[in-house]
Amino acid sequence: MPSSQTPPAGGTALDPTAVRPDIDDARIIRVTPAEIRATLERLKGEGFAMLLDIGGADYPGREPRFDVVYHLIALTSGARTVAAVGKPERVRVLCGVPEADPTVPTMSDLWPAADWAEREVYDLFGVHFSGHPDLRRIQMPVEWEGYPLRKDYPLRGPAREKTPRPSFALKSNVAAGTPASGRTAAALQRQIAAARGQTPKDDAK
Amino acid sequence: MTASAGAPAHGLEVVDAGDGRMIISMGPQHPSTHGVLQVITELEGETVVRADPEIGYLHTGIEKSAENLFWTQASTVIERMDYLSPLSNACCFIMGVEQLLGITGDIPVRAQQARVLLCELHRIASHCVWLGTGGIDLGAISGFFYAFDLRERILDLTELSGGARMHPNYLRIGGLRDDLPEGFLRKLDELIAMYYPRMRELRALLQKNPILQDRMIDVGILGADDAIAWGITGPALRATGVPYDVRRAFPYSGYEQYEFDVVTRTEGDAYARFMVRLDEMDQSMRIIEQVRKKLETPGPVMIADTKFAPPPKETIALSMEALIHHFKIVSESFRVPPGDVYQAIEGPRGELGYYIVSNGDNRPWRVRTRPPSMYNLQVLKKIAVGEYIADMVVMIGSLDPVFGEVDR
Repeated sequence: MPSSQTPPAGGTALDPTAVRPDIDDARIIRVTPAEIRATLERLKGEGFAMLLDIGGADYPGREPRFDVVYHLIALTSGARTVAAVGKPERVRVLCGVPEADPTVPTMSDLWPAADWAEREVYDLFGVHFSGHPDLRRIQMPVEWEGYPLRKDYPLRGPAREKTPRPSFALKSNVAAGTPASGRTAAALQRQIAAARGQTPKDDAK
Repeated sequence: MTASAGAPAHGLEVVDAGDGRMIISMGPQHPSTHGVLQVITELEGETVVRADPEIGYLHTGIEKSAENLFWTQASTVIERMDYLSPLSNACCFIMGVEQLLGITGDIPVRAQQARVLLCELHRIASHCVWLGTGGIDLGAISGFFYAFDLRERILDLTELSGGARMHPNYLRIGGLRDDLPEGFLRKLDELIAMYYPRMRELRALLQKNPILQDRMIDVGILGADDAIAWGITGPALRATGVPYDVRRAFPYSGYEQYEFDVVTRTEGDAYARFMVRLDEMDQSMRIIEQVRKKLETPGPVMIADTKFAPPPKETIALSMEALIHHFKIVSESFRVPPGDVYQAIEGPRGELGYYIVSNGDNRPWRVRTRPPSMYNLQVLKKIAVGEYIADMVVMIGSLDPVFGEVDR
């Protein structure tokens, strides 16, 4: 889809992920789409039982272009006291996805939580999740074209820019300064004055 | 009930799916869906055999908008995600940016206290909406007015703090916009004084109501294992017995100083979620009372570094540097060093998280929300199966989704 608005001015870093890994509590792992399935299965086995979120990010000009970001937390159903929950470990798995083949295996069979999250990444970034049972758009209408959160997707759609806004453009009488009824304030005053049998006070003449 | 295929796709649409099953489309204009939610429901008699929630009717592209705004402007739109507790959104995003800037340790104590106070006030306000509308779903109209009256007083306080009732844009990167105004603490005392009597009335009206208990107990049961697998957080998770609360597990903004209990229940049904939220409101008030005492001590509310904080108004007429800093912050914001961060807080609905990426520019490169109500709502696919269609509104209400956040 052609861009009608330049994306935000490019900053300095082409790949700002994980440049300051100690900034938050999470351990950061970077993998390729081929390794993601095995990595997440291993982490789930290590006790990272909850998949908090799957998000996407777009870095045009970088190879691979997209990131699919998995946030996991080591929270198990056996923890029944505040002390047992403690400070659960967090891990963030960044999976670089190339633009040429934007496909990642689905995790919806490992975590049912992944179902909607993967649909959203597909909807907004166009990353496909192979094996997903029901991969269709979730936020945008089904007939939508393009992937809105990609950086080359315009903030305002090109179709919207080319089409004149219908609200005022079609109402030629508005442009001419006459209301749709044809009754201007001056005409109304003349009519009232005539009904009262007075000489109309017409400032315009 | 007669089946009529091809009815218009709004309101309650009924389709005969053959073999005695019937597909009913609830919503998106159904009054009990707390927003614009459509649930495609397959029924066998009155029993739900498949429920497929359709979301996206309120998608506003806030994440995309935030990428195109300055760091200082982005919290304005981000506040509008969860419109029932706007300050938790702003607080979480702003703390994430502060992490990226490396100024988390420099935030003035009074600003942190005010953030805690406002987040807890908004938790109560948000639960008031859930309690009032949840009661209406079940036919209990009176509770709505008592709950909304309480919420109204919290919105009055919000208005005092930032000038607007719902989206005050009061929290800033580095602290607060202004100090709490004169008279705020007096109004807060009035709220604290009326809170417990009001909750007694609400509990008498709703909690002990036998009709409500009949409708909620053993409805929409969710076990702890399923809750973990579906990514459920917040009151819905604590109603299954797992006491995970971000305020306790990863204390932020000084939460480690306050005494409060993490409320849990073990039943995992709609009534357990109801009770967890009710008891959580009391715990929020406990925190508010503790913050109230600390707020007696005056102090700065904004970081001193004028690279991030606009200098005080009175210095602008006296100092050239102050004028320059003020102009630069307003006209082009500031640059945030490259990096990515995941910041989470305990919102009223669960773990609210922001994954923020900065590439070194004066706008965020990516703001990804971890929306608790989206994950909480998703589990409807599981818990609705085997329940009566009439209990669908009970289950939706007990999950407490807010669609500004689900759809963003």
